Amino acid sequence: MRAQAGMKLLTHNLLSSHVRGVGPRGFPLRIQATEIRVSPVDFNPDFVTRMIPKMEWAALVEAAESLGHLSELPRQLEEGYEKDEDFLRKVHHVLLEVEVVEGTLQCPESGRVFPISRGIPNMLLSDEEAAS
Amino acid sequence: MCWVRAVSIWRSLELEENLPPEVAKPSKRKTGENENIVTKKLKIEQTLAMPGDAECQLEKQNSDKMEEHKDLTTEKENFQEEKSENDGEKEVEHHQGKLTFRVSCRCSGTIAKTFTTEEVGRVIGIALIKQFGWKADLRNPSLEIFIHLNDIYSVVGIPVFRLPLASRAYIKVAGLRSTIAWTMASLAEINVGAVVLDPMCGLGTILLEAAKEWPNASYLGADVSDSQLLGAFDNLKSAGLMDRIELFKFCVTELPLLSQSVDVIISDVPFGKKFKLGKDIKSVLHEMERVLCVGGTIVLLLSEDLHKYLQDYKESNITWNSSKDSTDEFKIVKYVNAEEKNRIQENVSSSFQDVRQECLDKRPLFGTLVQMECHKVSLGRTEAFISKYKKIHASELQQPS
Repeated sequence: MRAQAGMKLLTHNLLSSHVRGVGPRGFPLRIQATEIRVSPVDFNPDFVTRMIPKMEWAALVEAAESLGHLSELPRQLEEGYEKDEDFLRKVHHVLLEVEVVEGTLQCPESGRVFPISRGIPNMLLSDEEAAS
Repeated sequence: MCWVRAVSIWRSLELEENLPPEVAKPSKRKTGENENIVTKKLKIEQTLAMPGDAECQLEKQNSDKMEEHKDLTTEKENFQEEKSENDGEKEVEHHQGKLTFRVSCRCSGTIAKTFTTEEVGRVIGIALIKQFGWKADLRNPSLEIFIHLNDIYSVVGIPVFRLPLASRAYIKVAGLRSTIAWTMASLAEINVGAVVLDPMCGLGTILLEAAKEWPNASYLGADVSDSQLLGAFDNLKSAGLMDRIELFKFCVTELPLLSQSVDVIISDVPFGKKFKLGKDIKSVLHEMERVLCVGGTIVLLLSEDLHKYLQDYKESNITWNSSKDSTDEFKIVKYVNAEEKNRIQENVSSSFQDVRQECLDKRPLFGTLVQMECHKVSLGRTEAFISKYKKIHASELQQPS
């Protein structure tokens, strides 16, 4: 079986379209996945705890939902999550264990579509499209 | 006597090594993963040709040189920054009593203009024979003495490993030397939960080293070349790091990342010989600065030309500021002076205190990027610079009035 890899939702949460004129409205990118991979990753509560504050929570929930992997993730972050291992494990699963192998990412403002092929998103812009 | 101690340490390590190939890794060193020992044929820099006669006038110089040598522990750390090339051809045989030895010598910098490597090697060899009564054996010595002289260090040591420090079982397609990659990663201050980006990752060497040593971070690699990305993917697969490192196709001058989303950027900036850096280094730095969090670190490998360009650029900024003519589009500003610093103290949170202390007296290279350290390294035929920057808070800079 050929080894696959894919884009994780943790990373998706950092991606923003760089199409000219789009600015902050280029986030978050809409995911359309034709092939998803779920694979176990070692759970590290420290890692997850530090990642959560860096995430745009609403965007994360939306992305997880669009992939069908919402898995009881609360729509809002509650206080004291650092000590809730159950919660951290759910976040761990959504952030790290769900990968998009094939599909597309779409800029919400310009509509520009970026393909994901063999786990690698192609976000290269042409000179005309680029911001600078 | 230093030499005796060094040789006895070497001897004890040798005994450990004659066990099965799974060699234990000493804490600070970077070694090959020896599951599949691939004996590489390695270049030996210069080997000594032993003349029969002693040369008296060289002996005095020799004793000066002996004064300079570092002890074995420091020398191990130097191996990380400088190349060490070992003889990988045969198993070392133990000789009871008298040791046989060979001197491998490498000189660079100004000393290379005064002495040839043969001269240095000869002098050391003679001294060792006189001191210890060892016999020289060029083909199959039990002990190899490695000498590296350059403008900064004099290193005298005994190589402990068969394979070069940089060899990696998991690298299928080699790019940057792994020891350099590891050094850059170690300068980068990768904490748990950090987001680490290499926006010109090529074959992924830097990310591989970083992810192996600091696994509890998130690694992103990007390149514009499909062939490089395929090679990187192969390397990741080989190393079993597909879960930790994610690859993207995008350009360093147009990073599709939110501002202040990345904690660490480490990159080998293309040198122009192998790759073309089409875009200006300034637009590269601009984007890197944008996506980096305050307090975040950038570690770059720069060619001599590029390094010089940035140094000149930094110097010229200071001239601009003193003339109070800030026409630079990137708004380079004058660094805050001592009185201002005290006033700002209350506004800056404690996490920035450390950054500020470190940045004292440092001029901003670029916007809010401040140079922290710079190390010259040898890449074999060429030399390069590992340059580290930190992003400071905008409030720590002062606008010229």
